[in-house]
Amino acid sequence: MSDRQPNEKPVVRGADGSESAYVESQVIMSTVRVIAPFSLTYGFFLLFHGADSPGGSFQGGAIIGATVLMIAFAFGIESTRNWLRNRTVVVLAAGGAAMFALVGLIPMAYGANFLEHPFYHEQFGIKTKWGLEAIEALGVAPIVAGVVSGLFFVIAAGALPATEEVSEDD
Amino acid sequence: MVSAFGIALFGFVLATALATALLRDILAVIIVFAAYSLGMALFYAFLLAPDVAMTEAAIGAGVTTLLLLLTIATTVREEPGIAIERPNLPALVVFGGLLVVMIGTVTQFPALGSRNAPVWSNPEVTQYYLEHSYKDTKVHNAVTAVLAGYRGFDTFGEAVVVFAAGISTLVVLGREVFTRE
Repeated sequence: MSDRQPNEKPVVRGADGSESAYVESQVIMSTVRVIAPFSLTYGFFLLFHGADSPGGSFQGGAIIGATVLMIAFAFGIESTRNWLRNRTVVVLAAGGAAMFALVGLIPMAYGANFLEHPFYHEQFGIKTKWGLEAIEALGVAPIVAGVVSGLFFVIAAGALPATEEVSEDD
Repeated sequence: MVSAFGIALFGFVLATALATALLRDILAVIIVFAAYSLGMALFYAFLLAPDVAMTEAAIGAGVTTLLLLLTIATTVREEPGIAIERPNLPALVVFGGLLVVMIGTVTQFPALGSRNAPVWSNPEVTQYYLEHSYKDTKVHNAVTAVLAGYRGFDTFGEAVVVFAAGISTLVVLGREVFTRE
């Protein structure tokens, strides 16, 4: 490795003309093709079985997010970026935080405490377990999955030059 | 921690931690650090903490490694010339002091599974959750019951911290979108 010069690295240009770190590899692509469906299923398994077995929303969300990272590493960061819309990432991250807050605030609106799970059973007959599951599956997991995949793409894109003005809006 | 597996795992984690600190080439450091995280994940599983082990394997070995690789891929990698970092004397002194404090602390810990450990010597706290968590929440995993139920407000804070980490990265890098419009 010591005889390789730093600037010998194959350079792939992204859609916006910036350098991409992607190097196509048949071995990585084949491996990810086999592993990605398994890891996505495993992530959802951890997420939905977190209440009754080890694991949970944080681990499940992280593995779901890592599956997107794996696909991007194998099939190209730019093409995966084009497939994954910003709206999806923002809805996951911000929607998760909003859902968590909502589950916590609804009891407060009725005069109970923040996140008072037994309140749902007394007021609406919703099992306490579903309150916990709602926080896990609708709150923490989307935040983690969204932020993990979002961080990857925004770090891959790097910082904008200070002089360049951001003209597009979402 | 008397089994051969435990000792081998301890040796592996120690060796990878030392290599992470001493290697000069950043790419090699990231790869060895991923191996260290995987060793730590096995360690947590070995110490019967599967929830922590899964987090360490997914975040420590997986996501962190990818983000670090991505960061050095977008920067220029300096050819190190030498394989091992030359130790810095003041840093070595600080490290030595810290090591003395850590070893002094660790030797005072109760033994693994000891009846004198705080988790057992405070049964009115620990046993309360073990006895009441299923009755209260109908959730089998006591860890989930504590995290999402009894300590839900704390978890809300943690979730918001993760959310804020994503937003602050956007702010630092001066971007408005994570992927594309």
